[in-house]
Parts: sequence; C-alpha cells; structure tokens
Amino acid sequence: MVGLSIGEQHFVKGGIAQDLRTDGRKRLTYRPIYVETGVIPQANGSARVKIGGTDVIASVKAEIGRPSSLQPDKGKVAVFIDCSPTAEPTFGGRGGEELSSELALALQRCLLGGKSGAGAGINLSSLLIKEGKVCWDLYIDGLVISSDGNLLDALGAAIKAALTNTAIPKVNVSAEVADDEQPEIDISDEEYLQFDTSSVPVIVTLTKVGTHYIVDATAEEESQMSSAVSISVNRVGHICGLTKRGGSGLDPSVILDMISVAKHVTETLMSKLDSEISAAEACEDES
Amino acid sequence: MSAKPGAATPTYSPKVVGRSRLPIFKDSDLDWSRPDGRGFPQCRPALLQTGAVSSASGSAYAEFGNTKVIVSVFGPRESKKAMTYSDVGRLNCNVSYTTFASPTLGQGTDHKEYSSMLHKALEGVIMMETFPKTTVDVFALVLESGGSDLSVVISCASLALADAGIMMYDLITAVSVSCIGKNLMIDPVTEEEGCEDGSFMMTCMPSRYEVTQLTVTGEWTTPNINEAMQLCLDACLKLGEIMRDCLKQAASASDE
Repeated sequence: MVGLSIGEQHFVKGGIAQDLRTDGRKRLTYRPIYVETGVIPQANGSARVKIGGTDVIASVKAEIGRPSSLQPDKGKVAVFIDCSPTAEPTFGGRGGEELSSELALALQRCLLGGKSGAGAGINLSSLLIKEGKVCWDLYIDGLVISSDGNLLDALGAAIKAALTNTAIPKVNVSAEVADDEQPEIDISDEEYLQFDTSSVPVIVTLTKVGTHYIVDATAEEESQMSSAVSISVNRVGHICGLTKRGGSGLDPSVILDMISVAKHVTETLMSKLDSEISAAEACEDES
Repeated sequence: MSAKPGAATPTYSPKVVGRSRLPIFKDSDLDWSRPDGRGFPQCRPALLQTGAVSSASGSAYAEFGNTKVIVSVFGPRESKKAMTYSDVGRLNCNVSYTTFASPTLGQGTDHKEYSSMLHKALEGVIMMETFPKTTVDVFALVLESGGSDLSVVISCASLALADAGIMMYDLITAVSVSCIGKNLMIDPVTEEEGCEDGSFMMTCMPSRYEVTQLTVTGEWTTPNINEAMQLCLDACLKLGEIMRDCLKQAASASDE
C-alpha cells in the first residue's frame, strides 16, 4: 500500500470530520456488498464476499471426529484464516501470520460465544452424532484474496453466507456397540441437513479517525485510524463479541457510544446481508 | 510404594468437582455462590512484589488468590533478529505456562493468543520512541493458573516494566468480569470461568481513565455491558492505587 502524504492525510481526516469520505460515502455507509455462494463445490459450504475492493472466500468442511473429553456433548469448530500474498506482498511467507491469527481469534470469539455455549452463533450440540463417541468437526477456512480494508467484516459476512450454504450429510448410527468401541456409522449420500444460521451474528468494525467513527474503512482510512472496535451483534440485538484493536486509549463513554452506533448499523447490515445471501442461494439453485 | 509386577503404578489425581455442579446452576432460581465465599463485586486480595528476578532489568511477582504469575523484563537491548533500522523500539512478549500450572497435567492451549494479547495491551502504553533500534523483551510465566490469568499477567507485566524503568504513559491494570446467568462477578476463578456465559476483560490506564484493550465473548445485553464496564473501571482504579503503593515501597526500601 502506498503511503499517504501529509496533504492526503489531512484530506482523509478532514473529510471524515465533515461526513464526506474520499469515495463520497457518509460515515456510516457500507460499500456495495456482493455475495456469491457455492463457489467451492468440494466443500460442504462456501461463499465469496466482495465489499468494495476487499475480496474474501470462506469455506466450511465437515468431517467425522471424536468430541473432546472435556465437552462430550458438543461438536468442534475450528476457524483458520489465510491472508494470501496476492492481497499484499507483505503477506507472503510469515508476514501475514500475525494478522491471520488475530482475525481467526476475533472470528472464533464471535462465533462460539462463552464457555458454556451461550450466545454462540453455531449450536455445537447440533453437531453431535453420538455422545462421547462421534461428532462433526467443522473446519471453517477463510482466504483473503484482495485487501482494501475492513477484512473482519467481510470475513464475518462470508462465514455467515458459507454456513447458510452448508449442507451436512445425515448420519445413521447403524450398530449399537459396547461403551468403549466406536459405533459404526452410515453417512447418507442422499439426505442433507441444512445448517440453522439464524443466530450467526454479523461483525461491524467501527474505526475511530480523529473524533469521529466510520464504518467499513478502506485501507487508506485504516492507516489513519487511532483505534478500531469490532462489535458483533446478533439478530436479537445482543452483543456477541467485542474486540478493541489499535493501541491508543479510548474513553469508556466513547466505547459505549460505539456499541449503540454498531447496534444501529447492524439492523440495516443484517437485513442487507440476508437478502444478498438468499439471492445468491436462489441464483445457485437455478444454475 | 512397591508395585506388584504387571499392575499399574498407584497414582493420585484430584477429582474434578466442577463438572458435577453444572446442572444445578443452569436453574435460574438458584444463585451462584462463589467457591471462595466472595461477594460478586469483590476482587481477590492482591499480593504484588517487584524485584523478584535479580538478573532481569525489571521484574514483578503477583499473587491473586490462586493465580501466581512472575514477569521479567529484559531491555532495552540490541535487536538481533531484525537488521532493519527502526525509529521506534520493538516489544517482544511471551506468555508461557509451567507444566504444573493447571490441575490437569500438560499445557493449556492459550499461549500464543495470550502473548499477542499481552503485546497489544502493552504497545499502546509504552513510549517506544524512547528506545529506538532496540528491543524490550517481556517474559511472563504463569506458575499457577487459578482464573483470570491474562488480567493478572497484564497487570504484573506493567509493574515489571515500571520496575525496569521503561518509560510509559501510565501504569495499566486489567480486570475481567464473568457473566453466569444474570449474575456478573468480577475476578473469576477457574471454576467460574469454566461455566461462564460470557467474559469481559478490560485493560485500562487508571490515571488517564482510558480503556486500552477490551475483549468481550458470549452474549451480552447493553445494560450488562454498562454494568460490567463500571465494575471493571472501579476495580482498575483501585488496583492502580495498589500498584503505585507497591512501587513506592520498593523505591523507599532501596533508598534506606
């Protein structure tokens, strides 16, 4: 990314202060969001989301596994993010590792909720096949193809779309066996179960530039930020996760204000995403 | 103890009591009573000491109930890895658990996460411009994990940095709050963290009254977040006082 000159920095900051960003948007307006589902035929579910110049792909693969001994009545979910060098040359080799793990951590926090499972976007008990023995392991992979700011929101939207697109095959436990043996399972090729994604939250990142917050920052606006707060809100209006990034300190009242702004923005974003996802699914069904 | 040939060696392991209690607390009628008898807004008593490691530039030892952490700071010293010149200093953080830190043998899986979270908490408060071309290393070792590990590590690290004489904008204190059902409890212990519905960890600079890091998991309503934030800010201010007293004592002791 090319650095900004002092004049350009003032232009970006001054514009935001006057509710007019460099691409003509208002502070709380998103760039056009484009969703396409079923892009990876071999995965159980996949989606590609483009928000302006940011392009990400999310895929969901389900495999049979054993539940962990600490939580025998729940399936497992693992989130991995890969920042490809095609997005930024600095991502090549180990450069993108820090960003990838930070994004993966934030997404895992938003999707899986508290330790007891409250507020989880994905209901882990629905992934169970036989308690203590067999469960589904979900591997959610995100790939960043092109990065123009606001990666977390795009990945959150892509994962939501991929989960809506996910079809998990039905499993019949065919034989009852003794307690210490693995039961035989029969994975159906015909019947599939759709995932219930009504409680998957959306993530809204509010970037603070100067004294104002903007939603959906581009890469050049992110370079001028003092701090950013990513808030994940679910359909009911409850906060499912919050991460503050950026080193500078924020007054507590500012954070509470950001939370209310995020909730307000989520209403429009959630309905927009839902309509885009269902349009994409309908498109895919036809083809 | 002599073992019979062919028999397994007799071992002793404490029973995990926590899980059997879980079904009781899902009932919203019964209130959670804290295992160590504290009230919900009561933190554990804090023991803080600087100068724990004599070979380090600065160090601190913290004991919050059963959570015992030792942090040592080395630096500013030469940046070996990076050959590129840097106007600002570099910070390198590492959090590790001893093998005997948790009741089950073996290490927890949170180390890399904790190291990067500690880095994020500290990078906003250290004046990096005061040590260009060099690196400051912060090594945290959790001797016993009794709950709220990351908060204790962050507070202890800031004390160790002050002991090392690294210039900072302010001390930072970290406190976490757990939500179980409708109850918010501050400074949770391991059993409470194991069955919590949500966790809220805040790092703040007490004198400047600014929040530097905030991490929330689980489902929270806005009034709960407000309440948790007030609890944390209050606790952070008091913890800041305790840290200052500790540093003043250390300074006056060295004067004598």
